[in-house]
Amino acid sequence: MVTVVSAVALVGLEASRVVVEATHSQGLPGTRIVGLPDTAVREAAERIRSAARRSGLGWPEDRVTLNLAPAALRKSGAGFDLPMALAVLGATGKVPREALVDLWAVGELGLDGTVRPVPGILPMAAAARDAGARLLLVASAAAVEASLVEGLEVVPVDSLAEAAAVLQGEQAARDVVATPAVVTSGAPDLADVRGQTVARRAVEVAAAGGHHLLLSGPPGCGKSMLAERMAGVLPPLSMDEALEVAAIHSVAGVRAPDAPLSLVPPFRSPHHTTSAPGLVGGGSGVGRPGELSLAHRGILFLDELLEMPRWVLDALRQPLESGHVRIVRTQAAVAFPADVLLVAATNPCPCGNLGSTSQACRCAPDRVERYRSRLSGPLSDRIDLQVELRPVDPDRLVGPGDGEPTAAVAARVAAARAVAAERWGPGTLNRSVPPAAVRATCHAGAVRALASAVEQLALSARSFDRALRVARTIADLAGDATVSTDHVDEAVAYRLATRLAAT
Amino acid sequence: MTATDGRWRSVAAPGTDPDLLAAVVRRLRDVGPATLAREARDHAASAGGDPPATVLRRVVPPVLPTGERDDEVAGTWAGLGVRVALVGDPGFPARLAVGWPGTGGPPLLAVRGSLAPHDGPAVAIVGARRATSYGTGVAAWLAESAAAAGAVVVSGGAVGIDAAAHGAAADHGTVVVLGCGHDVAYPRPHTVAGGLFERVLAGGGALVSEHLPGAAPVAGHVRARNRIVAGLADVVVVVEGGPRSGALVTAGYAADAGVPVLAVPGDVRRPGSAAPHLLLREGAEPCTSPDDLLAALSLAAPVGPDGAAPAVSTTLPPAVHRVLAGAWPRPLRLDALAEQAEVPAARLLALVTRARVAGEVAEGADGIRLTRAPR
Ligand SMILES: [Zn+2]
Repeated sequence: MVTVVSAVALVGLEASRVVVEATHSQGLPGTRIVGLPDTAVREAAERIRSAARRSGLGWPEDRVTLNLAPAALRKSGAGFDLPMALAVLGATGKVPREALVDLWAVGELGLDGTVRPVPGILPMAAAARDAGARLLLVASAAAVEASLVEGLEVVPVDSLAEAAAVLQGEQAARDVVATPAVVTSGAPDLADVRGQTVARRAVEVAAAGGHHLLLSGPPGCGKSMLAERMAGVLPPLSMDEALEVAAIHSVAGVRAPDAPLSLVPPFRSPHHTTSAPGLVGGGSGVGRPGELSLAHRGILFLDELLEMPRWVLDALRQPLESGHVRIVRTQAAVAFPADVLLVAATNPCPCGNLGSTSQACRCAPDRVERYRSRLSGPLSDRIDLQVELRPVDPDRLVGPGDGEPTAAVAARVAAARAVAAERWGPGTLNRSVPPAAVRATCHAGAVRALASAVEQLALSARSFDRALRVARTIADLAGDATVSTDHVDEAVAYRLATRLAAT
Repeated sequence: MTATDGRWRSVAAPGTDPDLLAAVVRRLRDVGPATLAREARDHAASAGGDPPATVLRRVVPPVLPTGERDDEVAGTWAGLGVRVALVGDPGFPARLAVGWPGTGGPPLLAVRGSLAPHDGPAVAIVGARRATSYGTGVAAWLAESAAAAGAVVVSGGAVGIDAAAHGAAADHGTVVVLGCGHDVAYPRPHTVAGGLFERVLAGGGALVSEHLPGAAPVAGHVRARNRIVAGLADVVVVVEGGPRSGALVTAGYAADAGVPVLAVPGDVRRPGSAAPHLLLREGAEPCTSPDDLLAALSLAAPVGPDGAAPAVSTTLPPAVHRVLAGAWPRPLRLDALAEQAEVPAARLLALVTRARVAGEVAEGADGIRLTRAPR
């Protein structure tokens, strides 16, 4: 007699149904798991037998065979423990067979029968819902995350015994206590930033259109202050976006499974010593999302960009253009979303004091040029907004902050984004709109003015379309349907700052 | 009956005797410029006071008639539109003729373009070929300001500082002193169509050379060129140069002739600052802004017809222009400009791009400034 429980295999962010079939038949005692299991799944035999016995549910004395189908799909991780154990309990009659119909389960078992959460519950639960699951059994700690998926009954269980009791009808399923979503960012207020009118404007344009931003200046001029405050300027994520972000964080194991859903766009600031897999994703197996993906739909803040190794700068290029990271492994090629707003900060020179009024720069000029040249070319071309900051006059640092508060800036950003979303479709930022579509919304004179500026000021050919996208955002902030010469001229100014400062 | 064919007449500058020119060219070819110069000095020592033309007639045997190779020289010059003047002639720069032959100046000058007026103020801006962006920036700044104030900018035709000075003042007409013949394409980037030399000619300037066609830019020629650069100027400014820079040679010729030398202080960590710093130590005046240069030329920064009213910018609103004019020649950071002119950052950025495209402002690490002295 074969019993069936549904489980979920996760490859990257892709969750697929795995059917767990269990039989027991005469033969030498033992448990076999077939269907392309990895080592962790293979070792499950020990865990589930011990868990079942210690939970007083017994284990067949004869031969147990567990098949995970489809065989072609690689199964990894400990999340198959609970569904395998339940399938065996069904086969031995410890759990009524009808209770297993359309039952899905995800969880790791301890030797004593404890059910533990595994990473990636959110995309797994979504897959279960989409496949028509009736019930999803998960560890209590993961239940809050699983219940973020609407239209699915989630049953939290602490142990295999509790799972059996619920399925036997001897114990009522516990309710999941839903926590309200988090909507406010903890980011400090822009009102604290004094002066820096040009950089503040760049922050607003960057947030409105999702354009990448480079802040260059000596230490203490407020680069990090501005970057940290940008998170508060971005509008909250939609429910779907928040779930997508939470799914990535869940798979990466950086999200507490009992944390409420957050509508606040992520803000990630990896240190410049972060490893390759840590930044772009990868690692063992099919790999986990890196910081680039953890910042999906939010901000990736790279401080001291020019201190980063060359390969980091190179690795950033493709994701910044395409909005996703591809990791190729022998088992599979995985794509993780990485639609980020890059905010980078850099010192103007290796010692950091170039342009400072209080500290002398100690760098040899050719070293400064070499340092700056690391930014040149393809990466610089993709950072549409570049501004040079200088420390604010110390006289202005006394008294309360004189800057415009975050709320006022955020309101304009939200309005501009709403206009863009109405034009291009929900969630689409000006950053990623095809050039031809943007050009169709521009005044002919503006396009001519841009062409002449690109030629006169010797900008790269790629700059043309990129500046046009920024001009589109500037027009959206102004509430203008058509991009005019004024918008284009402002957009070009952001491309010039650091290029000129390097000369 | 004249010795020369029509080509010599078309090549000779107004006021220059084609026969004597042909004879000087033949002599230069036969014995070389060094021997000719010695002969001229020997003659002047024995019979001082003769005008240059008389000296030349004495030391140069007449040519009658000209040979095939002479005509070839005239043909090459004629083909390039070059006019040649002999020392002391009306078409020859008066500055270079003073004291000849004792000064070691050239007996002839082949001029392409127009070399007038050469009695007005002139400044030589010289420096290294391997210049920094700071050096080329300062050279351009000085050249632009001097030209706007009415001085003629003179320099060699090399890349680096020379080119930066010519490039910035080309519209006002500059004088390029070549270290080779007019028909030699050197330095190549400047001789191509649309290159620097074409711009200088289009701007009403001139290319001048003491050499016959075909003369290569060998080191000796290039160094000797510097005596002409110095000789054509009222003030010599050295912007950048290494410890053995040709700019020091130019400064030396200038000092010998009593022409003031200014030096632009450089970055003390750069080898390319050696020449100006050496000159400063030896007593050259520091040049730290166009004002220093204009003062040495006894020129005031150009003023409008009524003397004070600032010119109206074509792209910048009056408030922004006024603040920039007030800071001139120092650059101003955009944040400060926005605040002082009371213009929102967004608007200011758009204005600055437009003014940059129009060439009204220049932008650097320290902010932006007007490219021309406010008037
Ligand atoms: Zn430094």
